[in-house]
Amino acid sequence: MPEGTLCNRQPIQTDEALKTLLSDTGGRQYYQEMQSLPVDTPLLWETIQKTCRSRIRTWLSMCARCGMCADSCFLYRINDRDPKQVPAYKIQSTLGEILRRKGRVDNAFMQMAMETAWAKCTCCNRCGLYCPHGIDMGVMFGYLRGLLYQQGFVPWELKIGAGMHRVYHAQMDVTDADFTETFAWMVEENEEDYPGLAVPVDKVGADIMYTVNAREVKHYPEDLAEAAILFHLAGENWTVPSRGWEQTSLAMFAGDWEACKIQVESVYDAMERLKPKRMVGTECGHAHRATVVEGPYWAGRKDGLPPVESIHYVEWLAEALRTGKLKINPEKRIKEPVTLQDSCNYVRNHGLKEITREIMSYIVEPGYFIDMSPNREHNYCCGGGGGFNGIGLYRKQRNKALITKRDQILSTGAKLVIAPCHNCWDAIRDLEEEYRIGIRWSFLKPLILKMVEIPEHLKPEE
Amino acid sequence: MFKKILFATSATEACDHAARVAFDMARRYHAHIDVFHVLGVPTRGYSQVVVDLTTGDEVTLDDNYRDLVKEEIRSYYDHQIQTTDDFAITVTIGHPHREILRIARAEKPDIIVMGGSTGASGSYAHKKAATGSTFQRVAKAAHFPVLVINRPAASFWGGFSNVVFATDFSDAADHAFAFAFKLVKELNCEFHLFHALDITCFQTDNFHTQDTIDDQIRNAIAQIRFRYVSKMGDFKPYAMEVWEGIPFVEIVKYAREKQADLIIMAYNTRQTDDPEASIGSVAEQVILRANCPVISINRSVGKE
Repeated sequence: MPEGTLCNRQPIQTDEALKTLLSDTGGRQYYQEMQSLPVDTPLLWETIQKTCRSRIRTWLSMCARCGMCADSCFLYRINDRDPKQVPAYKIQSTLGEILRRKGRVDNAFMQMAMETAWAKCTCCNRCGLYCPHGIDMGVMFGYLRGLLYQQGFVPWELKIGAGMHRVYHAQMDVTDADFTETFAWMVEENEEDYPGLAVPVDKVGADIMYTVNAREVKHYPEDLAEAAILFHLAGENWTVPSRGWEQTSLAMFAGDWEACKIQVESVYDAMERLKPKRMVGTECGHAHRATVVEGPYWAGRKDGLPPVESIHYVEWLAEALRTGKLKINPEKRIKEPVTLQDSCNYVRNHGLKEITREIMSYIVEPGYFIDMSPNREHNYCCGGGGGFNGIGLYRKQRNKALITKRDQILSTGAKLVIAPCHNCWDAIRDLEEEYRIGIRWSFLKPLILKMVEIPEHLKPEE
Repeated sequence: MFKKILFATSATEACDHAARVAFDMARRYHAHIDVFHVLGVPTRGYSQVVVDLTTGDEVTLDDNYRDLVKEEIRSYYDHQIQTTDDFAITVTIGHPHREILRIARAEKPDIIVMGGSTGASGSYAHKKAATGSTFQRVAKAAHFPVLVINRPAASFWGGFSNVVFATDFSDAADHAFAFAFKLVKELNCEFHLFHALDITCFQTDNFHTQDTIDDQIRNAIAQIRFRYVSKMGDFKPYAMEVWEGIPFVEIVKYAREKQADLIIMAYNTRQTDDPEASIGSVAEQVILRANCPVISINRSVGKE
């Protein structure tokens, strides 16, 4: 049976193909075609032989089926402790089975694997923390997604998302010109309140090169303005690249390895071109994972590091507050019960758990910060990670997945949730939409702007 | 004066009064009118799904849906559209204030016309996240005058002939004056320059006697002469007054007494998410209560 016109093994390469796929409202035709999409089993097995290295093979074979991972998985807990939601079962019944069958699986199997990979795992990697052997199912699901993507079994929105990176080098249809123009617009809107505010584009040798999430450009340019203002107030020598400014990677969620490489190399090219001392990325979890943690390996960098030191926004902010580059007016600190969401991608997976709490110590009046339980590297996924937030096909499962975070927040009694991650911010917004528990949620930048002291020489003339 | 009007509308009843004024202005001043509608706000993370602001439904945006909404808007304003031959309808997605500011920056209208609070269903969380009303956010950042009609503009019979300029002597008020004076000259209007002396703080301060208040009124009159009248050359049809009281109440009362068909004033609120901003801003209170259109001008208006 032939591949479909929309659902097939070909990645999106052109704007025209992107628009055609987008015009298939909700992916109706796409998913219909998926019902008869053939599995190229020789290709699947060949790919596994080339890419499935000893780590994954060892993990799969050494798993003792002890079940210690079960309770670590919030999807298992929230789905009535269904044995089919035990992480070890989920990976053994998909990737493990594909290996055991030497790639000889059929369409129904691949559709089951697709649902497992995108609706039963958010790649939060919490199970890896609890497995006595250190087996990380999240990493293996990331790998499985790559195999599924190659065969065309990928949710519609993520096929589009990966295509966006291939066509626009951004997760949305935002061009390089849109990016610099939007920053210029934000300067126009704010320069009266902040005299001297500027966004230097392509400045060579700056101390900081700032990278963003395309959604900020498309829908929330206030975020760009806030970033610019805070760098300005901190007296930073900073710049943005006119190309290679997108830090996120829906390609990573999609399992489109080639697009992952294309995307991260565009950021690394900007680093090589502009030679900044450091790169600072926006308040996004997966963007950090893609560009700072996993990206170097996609780009084949032997040292496993980006071309220049690359840090998360929370690291820059903590440093700016610690060193006094930014000063908080103590009168304006948060004086209401407030809690903090730990983004899996840079807390559990990159060790920044104390950095965000250091920020809390500067911006929250003592006694008002209440940690979730569990917290830090043991905190649960927001419920929408790994691409789950954006997939219409699995919306019902995603909404159920939000219950864990909802109950954690309710237990704190806090009405304000600080979520320095786009995915977490979205999920917490959605859980308020779905369950109406009466909370507010915020990134750090707008909160800091309300309480930061403006140095005398940067104040507007009255 | 008004060659290009950007009418930002929810295409619901909330904007009907604004539509009457916007289309009347377009017809009377032979202006091009852009009917602009934000149909939905983004949701579901990075996906293409939006929440329709009118129906509250989640929809996947495609060209068909966009055309359908355009057609609905055309039908909704069919009666008014027939009175003008120079119009365009644009629909988009995004956060309403941001998209209004975006198109204004691109199209550079002479004026943005908006309705009052829409009460649109939209998404619960979206509304909760959006601190400040769409008007607040547009008025704060727009580089163009913003005309808002919240209540039935009972004293607006068509065109502008009787204009109240209410000043708080701020920088933004200077911009508002420049715009107001240009308008009254070009459209041959009567011009009422007005200042409301805020005496609300006097309740707790016994040292301010009526003599003090009278002194301040005289000072304000002198300021009006110095700051504005001195720049009006031989323009004659003007009057000026200073009343003491609660500023927004006095401005609304004065406009009613003068049967004004337009109030022009400065918009000085900087923080849209300050809980006190919505009651603290005189302009917003005037907009809520006036029975004529109100043009608000921030200090960026007129800046190149």
